[in-house]
Amino acid sequence: MAQRGWRTKRGRKALAAVVYAVLGRGLVASARLDERVRGEVRSWPDGAVVTLRIAPFGPQVSWRVSGGVLTYLGGAEAPADLLVTFKSVDDAIPLLLGMQGVLAAFAEHRATVRGDLALAMSLVRCLHIVEGYLFPDIMTRRILPHPAERRASHATAYVFLLFRTASLEGAAS
Amino acid sequence: MIPDYYEFCNSAKIVSGSKAIEHIGYELAALGASKPLVLTNKQLLELKVATVVLDALKDTEAEVVAVYDDVPVDSSVAVVNDVARVYRETGADAIVAVGGGSVLDTAKGATIVLTHGAEDLMEYRGAESLVGRRAIAFIAIPTTAGTGSEVTSAAVIKDTERHVKMGFTSLSLLPDVAILDPRMTTGLPPRLTASTAMDALTHAVESFSCVQANPLSDCYARSAIDLIREYLPKVMADSKDPKTRLALANAALLAGAAFSNAMVGIVHAMGHATGGVAGVPHGDAMAILLPHGMAYNLGCAGDRYGELLLNLAGAEAYAATPAAERGTAAIAAVRAMMMSLHESAGLPLTLAEAGVLPEQVPDIAKAALNDGAMSMNPRQPTYEELVEILKGAL
Ligand SMILES: [Fe+2]
Repeated sequence: MAQRGWRTKRGRKALAAVVYAVLGRGLVASARLDERVRGEVRSWPDGAVVTLRIAPFGPQVSWRVSGGVLTYLGGAEAPADLLVTFKSVDDAIPLLLGMQGVLAAFAEHRATVRGDLALAMSLVRCLHIVEGYLFPDIMTRRILPHPAERRASHATAYVFLLFRTASLEGAAS
Repeated sequence: MIPDYYEFCNSAKIVSGSKAIEHIGYELAALGASKPLVLTNKQLLELKVATVVLDALKDTEAEVVAVYDDVPVDSSVAVVNDVARVYRETGADAIVAVGGGSVLDTAKGATIVLTHGAEDLMEYRGAESLVGRRAIAFIAIPTTAGTGSEVTSAAVIKDTERHVKMGFTSLSLLPDVAILDPRMTTGLPPRLTASTAMDALTHAVESFSCVQANPLSDCYARSAIDLIREYLPKVMADSKDPKTRLALANAALLAGAAFSNAMVGIVHAMGHATGGVAGVPHGDAMAILLPHGMAYNLGCAGDRYGELLLNLAGAEAYAATPAAERGTAAIAAVRAMMMSLHESAGLPLTLAEAGVLPEQVPDIAKAALNDGAMSMNPRQPTYEELVEILKGAL
């Protein structure tokens, strides 16, 4: 019987692309809502492009920081200053679905990093905070190094994620 | 202890023994190389340490095309590029690196430039992002027994102009051959011997308790600690004995292979930061911080430290200690080792003795939090916790 949905590699890649879009906007929203993420992003070199990619052909998600403000670039090709590449879609999925922590994924050689490792550490801290907003405690307890400390409620984060970022993007374009 | 997933690679051929360096001609030929560039520093030539290698090379079919002895204490981009230039100009086909961590790191950097044609080494920074076969035969001959750099896939190189430390990890940085010969380390002064041995011990202990510990790295870590426990006191008592020196060199190599695969954690993160902010030598920082890092990890890695009590203190002490107390006893064993090195070689016991000022603690904590080694520690500290640990070590 032919397999369907996320059981196929194509399905898992499509799923990864969807999560990337949520994570992509989630990081931008967190950078507006949460001063910890804002602080991290402000320490990144101005103009830097950060990309998460799945080898060999994507999908991928990128952000650019300029003037301390983060912009979501989606899957657009941009020369990355920090490139995190998952070795396969199956290395990315557990992390993207909140089943594996970011640090555990690095420890298990699931991703390679090209660029400044200190910047990568800062990105990891940001992702931990974003995961705190995206996932319930029952999941974050397993994947985060510390209990999730939220500076805004899940609800605010979701509303922000769904509407504010979209409208801000609309206003910006 | 079996992790869900792990990787392990230690591809370097190990050549260990008295007069092992005399095999260098054979090893070069086996690699298909005949025109080595010897990379070292002036001090090692003056001390007649590097000359042992040059003399051995005279009696081979290989022709040394250059001796590059301008490697500074910290490997820098400028030197790496210069080594690559000399390599190209002299038509060399191998690098024989004779020295401590900085010489070996410089050699690794040069192999990146030469293999990938790197114009700017900065673009090659990262973890596991360098792929492809190295184009250069590479033999490493360590002159300290500590860093284990002869079998690690990592290198740190400073960009002195842009003031950044660049980290590289890639299997393509592993030397083809690592030669351990007691003649390289018998001249090391006791203070440096003690400090570098504590670095090796920290590699073994941290690799054993880090999130990537695996059955293979565990074997290396345990063997390294066994050798340090047995032979470090002997080396401190008689520094010229080739057999004990060779044992310590092997301990450092084993610990290097362990941490190159299983990584290091909070002790190294704090140690790198202490070096960067207050200039404390790496081995001294390791000796001071190891028991403190272990104490912080005790809650989640106590059982693992307990297993190491067998290697840190020996079978008698292990058997005599109830299982629940072994983790704490392992920390006590490390402290006892430190204390004896403090007495025999004057190793500092506290950060203050090593010259750290209380007002430097916040900067050290901040840098430690950003250090890549921290991410592999079994427990992730907050900034406030790090400040507390460092204050405890002051
Ligand atoms: Fe070290």
